[in-house]
Amino acid sequence: MKKEPILPESRDTTFRDQVLKTHVGEKIPTCIQCGICAGSCPVSHEMDYSPRELVRMVQLGLKKEVLSSNTIWICTTCFSCSVRCPRGIHPTELMETLKPIAIAEGIINKNAKFDNVFSSVIKNNGRASEFLLISRYSMTEPRMIKQLPFGLEMMAKGKLPLSIDRMENTRELEAIFKLGEKGESKIENKEIKEKDREKDSDKEKEKEPQETKMQENENEKVEAKK
Amino acid sequence: MKYSYYPGCAQHGTAVDYRISVEAVFGRLGIELEEVKNWNCCGALHVPDRTVKTGLSARTLASAKGLDMATPCNLCYSNLMRAQTALQDSTLRTRVNEALTEKYDGNTKPKHLLEVIVKDLGLPKLAEQVKKPLKIKAVPYYGCLLTRPENNFDSPENPKSLDDLIVSLGAEPVKYYYKTKCCGGPILITNEDLALNLSKELLVMAKESGADCVVVTCPMCHLQLDAKQKAVESKFNIKIDLPIIYFTQLMGLAMGFDPKELGLSRHLVPTDKLIAKIGGKQ
Repeated sequence: MKKEPILPESRDTTFRDQVLKTHVGEKIPTCIQCGICAGSCPVSHEMDYSPRELVRMVQLGLKKEVLSSNTIWICTTCFSCSVRCPRGIHPTELMETLKPIAIAEGIINKNAKFDNVFSSVIKNNGRASEFLLISRYSMTEPRMIKQLPFGLEMMAKGKLPLSIDRMENTRELEAIFKLGEKGESKIENKEIKEKDREKDSDKEKEKEPQETKMQENENEKVEAKK
Repeated sequence: MKYSYYPGCAQHGTAVDYRISVEAVFGRLGIELEEVKNWNCCGALHVPDRTVKTGLSARTLASAKGLDMATPCNLCYSNLMRAQTALQDSTLRTRVNEALTEKYDGNTKPKHLLEVIVKDLGLPKLAEQVKKPLKIKAVPYYGCLLTRPENNFDSPENPKSLDDLIVSLGAEPVKYYYKTKCCGGPILITNEDLALNLSKELLVMAKESGADCVVVTCPMCHLQLDAKQKAVESKFNIKIDLPIIYFTQLMGLAMGFDPKELGLSRHLVPTDKLIAKIGGKQ
């Protein structure tokens, strides 16, 4: 595969700093690109970028490529890479950290949809009834209809009850899910953006006019989403 | 022996067979599992926000009433373990506690049921309860989240506890290169094609080992290897026909329970040949 050169304008230091400031970010700059993560990953052959490449791309701030890659969604969360990394970087947790950032950037795919269905089922019922999950998800993914015979087989064995498993009350869960509204990535994102703006005004002249403009657009977009 | 017990959602659905066998076996061993009242889902692998996910487990851990918290599910176990580590950070704990009625002090110890048997009860004690040594070959399959990212009882690279348990029941654990390799369960719904590829590797290797069954510790692994075994067979045009057994069911068989009392008839892959070999009836 021919590697494209990385142009300075495709590097987004705000994104890089946003990730580096999360709980997994601290060790990311220490990656030695040994590739034990990629070699341990059961699904790296299906990924747009292997975990090793993804870590490097985060270091470089390649926001668009990182967030739109299938890598973060195809990860099975098996943690093989995380327990083997000689630098103590946790690529699995990096993938988990990148998911909400990707969603906040408007990335939508079937994994994001399923996570969304799952979260709303738990928020409302407190527990994940498989039947409810699958039927809700099927509404957004019509191809799931192919699973019908499998579902019937499970029902025949009493493994897919139609009744919904519920907590007695879910009041506390609402409060727990509210914690996410001021979640890790969002808070830090805002802090960094604010800091960047100060920096920008300090050294206006140094930056190319176009890059500053892009940065501002980016800030506005994020602010608008809040 | 008494534990606070967090069953997890699957016990009320796809892992009903697991639940039946846990109740039978732990009852006989005199290990009390006191179910947490009004428990909530741990978020499995599908709640992307870290603070929310930690909050879900913090609420569970806060309800342990000073007991260790036992759980049968690898996903629940890994989430409780990760939350427990994360909540040692007092800033995060304070923040999460804002949402909780019962505040969490950070002192509950999560334990997988396998750990309860192997470490707390001890295998010699279990061996005393064996009425019918199993004389079969079994694949010890640990999956991912029992030992990774963290656990307090076994190696994440080459775990042995399930091997040892199989030995203490009179059976022989086969050498299995994929004992901690991912079964694909977490991506089954969104990427079935890839998930089945992963399962196929595990099942073919298990079949080639000459084992009579695969022993699992997780509802997700069971779903993937038992319930989806037929899908693997038709996708790759191969015959596997290998029973997938929860470790508690294997214990129950050796302890002389009737297979019906262990939920074995609820599997999608028939278990009769295995039961016949052990010398029980179904």
